[in-house]
Amino acid sequence: MISRSKIVVPLRMAAQTTTLLSVVFLLLIFARPVPAQKKFSRTYAAGQNIRLQLMNRSGTVTVEGWNRSEISIMATLESPTATIVPESVGGTIVINVVRDNQGRYDVGSVNFSIRVPFSTKVDIETRIGNLIVNNINSELVRAHISSEGDITLTNIFSTAVAAENVSGNIFFDGTLEPGGYYRFSSMKGDINLRIPFGASFRMVATAPSTRSISLGAFTNSNTNYLADGRRVVGRFGDGSANLTVTNQRGSISFFRR
Amino acid sequence: MTCDECKGLINCLMDSELDEVQATAVRSHLSRCAGCANFSEDLAAIRDACNTEPSSELIPPNSRALWCRIHNVIENEVRTKPSENQVPRRFLRLSFGQLMSAFVCIALVSSLFTIVGIKNYSQPASTDFTSRAAATQTTFEKVLCKIGLMETPQEARGRRLQEQKAAIEYWNERVQSRRWQWDRATREAFDRNLQIIDESVNDYSLILQKDPDDELTGEMLDSVLDDKMNLLRDFSDL
Repeated sequence: MISRSKIVVPLRMAAQTTTLLSVVFLLLIFARPVPAQKKFSRTYAAGQNIRLQLMNRSGTVTVEGWNRSEISIMATLESPTATIVPESVGGTIVINVVRDNQGRYDVGSVNFSIRVPFSTKVDIETRIGNLIVNNINSELVRAHISSEGDITLTNIFSTAVAAENVSGNIFFDGTLEPGGYYRFSSMKGDINLRIPFGASFRMVATAPSTRSISLGAFTNSNTNYLADGRRVVGRFGDGSANLTVTNQRGSISFFRR
Repeated sequence: MTCDECKGLINCLMDSELDEVQATAVRSHLSRCAGCANFSEDLAAIRDACNTEPSSELIPPNSRALWCRIHNVIENEVRTKPSENQVPRRFLRLSFGQLMSAFVCIALVSSLFTIVGIKNYSQPASTDFTSRAAATQTTFEKVLCKIGLMETPQEARGRRLQEQKAAIEYWNERVQSRRWQWDRATREAFDRNLQIIDESVNDYSLILQKDPDDELTGEMLDSVLDDKMNLLRDFSDL
């Protein structure tokens, strides 16, 4: 006679095995396929007067200044069929993902991490995605997002800065150099500017829908609210720099650096 | 024989009009006196030249006719010379008032054209003027608008809107022909952002319908239409 315990144990083991196999089966069915990523890496020697010009389709671009005379480009390509063909033309490093992948349907996101000398002129744009620029001391920093994405510019000491997107936040942390031009524009999102208290500039800030313009510590007797508070114009110090901020459906805030 | 007597007889000697005694005396003096001898040689050279030149070059063909022509030329010059006392200038016939009026007219017209020219040159793109309200126009600009030398802000804005709409239509057609190639995330992002822009366009259009002189709204409408055009253009590359 076979005891009851001798029958129950194999049955329990069979049930456990079946459960385990079922779980594995379900995981295999419902798990999303992980696309095979591709890595790209290249380094260029950089001279004194160098410029980075990048046009991305989708993804995050991070540009960071460093104390070396070379440009390091690293990229992660979501789609293995996507290609990047950087060019070095007369002191300008040109990366154009849109042009390089014209006619391809499955390009996916391309995330860049680029390190450049501090004095590099940075001109980057993307159709969709975030743009981040740190530690740049040059004549130009331009960040343009055709549609949505955040723009973060920190430690910027440039005489010309432009940041524009349709939707997404814009954050600028840097100085306003004498005679410089600074332009920040968004349709929907928050624009936050962190600048030195002693900066000299003329300002035109416009937020027509929200009228949300916070000058913080920069409020003084030279600021005027126009058009029912939709626009603020002001002059700080000798007003040598020009600052234009426009946010169609969001807020504008100034912070002391 | 003295030198004067000799010089007076040299011409006669050359013409063989002297008798033998006078001729011998003259020749004798010439042989002794170098000055008279030189004079005699010069005179002989002149006579030779006169004898060898054609007579037509020495004598005018019709000296009377020549003098008549000279006389006529002198008379004509005398006739055409203006007489300041008898013929006053037409310019001086204008009165002082007429002169001043003419001067003021010229100054006004030239100023007008100069200002219009400078304005057209300094505002080639209508982006600034389109967003301006009639209230910000100077009296002079209003006068120019009245007489048709300058667009009113509304006209300029209308023209600018037409241009922007035409550009938007062009890029939109390109986007529509390509968007089927985009992945889903790109399509959704594009539609979301286009909707945000369109909402602003609608809001500003409504405000301008109620208050066409709202300067800031005109400027913002212009800006968002540019943004819309840029969005369409950027995505038409994909």
